[in-house]
Amino acid sequence: MTPVLVARDVRKDFPNGDEVTRVLSGVDLELASGELVALLGVSGSGKSTLLSILGLLLTPTSGQIHIAGERVDDLSDRGRTLFRRRRLGFVFQAHHLLPDFTALENVAFPAAATAGGITSEIRARAADLLRRVGLEARMDFRAPRLSGGQKQRVAIARALINEPVLVLADEPTGNLDRQSAEQVLELMREMNRDQGITFLICTHDEHVAAQCSRRIQLSDGRVESDTGAT
Amino acid sequence: MFAFTVARRYLLSSPGQTGLLLAGVALGVTVFVFITALVEGLAVRLTDEVTANSAHVSLQPQTRTARILEAPGLRAEGVALVSTFQRQQIREWRQVVALARAQAGVAAISPQISGSAFLVRGEAVQPVSVTGVEPESLDVVSPISTRIVEGRAQFGADGILIGRRLADELGLSAGQPVLLRTDRGAERLLTVRGIYRTGLQSLDERVAFLSLRTARPLFRLPEGVTNIEIKLDRPEEARALARFLEEATGLRSTPWQEKNTSLDDALIAQGQTGRLIQMFSLVSIVIGVASALVLSAYRRRPEIGIMRAAGVSSGFIARVFLLQGLMIGLIGALVGCATGYGVSAWLASLTGPDGDPMLPIAPERGGYPAALVLTTLGAVLASLLPARAASRVDPLEAIQQ
Ligand SMILES: Nc1ncnc2c1ncn2[C@@H]1O[C@H](COP(=O)(O)OP(=O)(O)OP(=O)(O)O)[C@@H](O)[C@H]1O
Ligand SMILES: [Mg+2]
Repeated sequence: MTPVLVARDVRKDFPNGDEVTRVLSGVDLELASGELVALLGVSGSGKSTLLSILGLLLTPTSGQIHIAGERVDDLSDRGRTLFRRRRLGFVFQAHHLLPDFTALENVAFPAAATAGGITSEIRARAADLLRRVGLEARMDFRAPRLSGGQKQRVAIARALINEPVLVLADEPTGNLDRQSAEQVLELMREMNRDQGITFLICTHDEHVAAQCSRRIQLSDGRVESDTGAT
Repeated sequence: MFAFTVARRYLLSSPGQTGLLLAGVALGVTVFVFITALVEGLAVRLTDEVTANSAHVSLQPQTRTARILEAPGLRAEGVALVSTFQRQQIREWRQVVALARAQAGVAAISPQISGSAFLVRGEAVQPVSVTGVEPESLDVVSPISTRIVEGRAQFGADGILIGRRLADELGLSAGQPVLLRTDRGAERLLTVRGIYRTGLQSLDERVAFLSLRTARPLFRLPEGVTNIEIKLDRPEEARALARFLEEATGLRSTPWQEKNTSLDDALIAQGQTGRLIQMFSLVSIVIGVASALVLSAYRRRPEIGIMRAAGVSSGFIARVFLLQGLMIGLIGALVGCATGYGVSAWLASLTGPDGDPMLPIAPERGGYPAALVLTTLGAVLASLLPARAASRVDPLEAIQQ
């Protein structure tokens, strides 16, 4: 089976005055379809940087990346935007919902912007996702009127609206209390289990990592250990 | 279009700010409309005053100096001699009048004999400019018969109409005789039938009206006339008609604008001042819209970042901001046009103690299409910069903020 993601020798240097800061110094990574992967590492080890590169939000200094069989590291800006829309989902530590829109509109947004509006089909899909994250009673609430955990659940539903093959989550439970974090994590496990969506979750939280099927440890800009791969 | 929905939602999300911005745009448009209505109204009033009391097109014979060159066989002195004795005249004036009358937009025509003369009463002598008219055409160039303050607007066999000031200078009143001596050396005792006051100094002080029939022997013109004066329904069409008549008749044909070049200059200067103010109000609208939207784009960086991360195109983001500019421009312009019209109409309705309007405003000439188009265009232009900034937000940077 083709892997969902293949990264080969990914490097990233940040210019820093006259010098460069090397953050990633040759990351090799392969994710199979349906995996639930925790990305671990001390603060500053480059987890967020790697996630951004894999999410096509940041270009690597060198290295090759294939997602769903397509080469993506050499795409144009436009091509990257299009690819993100078709294939990827994001969940960030801060939810970043659109404050002027309802929960349902927030979920529908990534699909509606291309479809020219919230079509009945998109609405149905968004409503279904909100039902699955347990927010059917909050669909018409504007974002600021939801609790932190609810907002993050809306963000997960939003990440799934375009039926991505890979969801990248950067400390999705970082801002949440124990109970909300548990709910959010359980949700991702469920989506992973039921729909076979691959999740790459970057986290500091041992508890989160323990629930994942595979853990990748990042250190000094490289993959230090990789356990539980299928 | 979804971008439209988003733009509208953005504008409605802070009604106070949007309201203030709209008020600013509307105020700018109000100024634009008011100034336009004032400048136009002033132009209309000035033009009306001039065109009400002058002919719109004047026809005269071509000056003869040109003909001297055309006739090499004749001695120049001979021609000059002839033209001194023989008045320049329009002999075929009846055809010319018929031709002019057949043109669309011609309101009235007055064939005239104009010349210089003296009015003599006892010791007193006053130079006058005499206008011989057909009695029914007396009011063609300026209204006279309605301005009679003494006697009646009738010529009879030997009648003359003179202005109030001239009458005062000669101590004349209606019904009294006065001697008219023309520059052709003819003289006749006439009766003052009526005295008028038009308020125009030149008319009241230096002009006298005769019937064409009375004028003929006095100016030794048994058939012809010296000039034909034409009034139009629409004075602004004078140039076109003048050009046509000049070509058709060979007569020298002068539109009123050429006799009033200082009015033209004044109107142009006034128009330029108006345009300057219009431009300033547009510039202030553009600056206001641009700064408000630049601020909004900055404030919304994180959400723009998340939209971009989710695969929303930069073009969509740009459209959201351009549409905000468009809506602000359009709504602001509509509101501004309405208030501008309201203010202008109210000011136009104010009258002074004499019952005349105090300000010469033309509320229906507020330049509404221009205000609408320019404001909307300006607002869209103003949103280019914020739209560009918003569409170039780097998703990663915005999210990490
Ligand atoms: N735009 C940038 N310019 C320069 N250096 C950067 C930039 N972004 C990240 N870095 C550096 O790269 C290193 C890795 O950062 P990154 O955010 O990927 O770490 P992380 O593993 O996600 O840390 P944390 O667990 O604290 O979130 C850090 O030392 C950081 O200073
Ligand atoms: Mg990080």
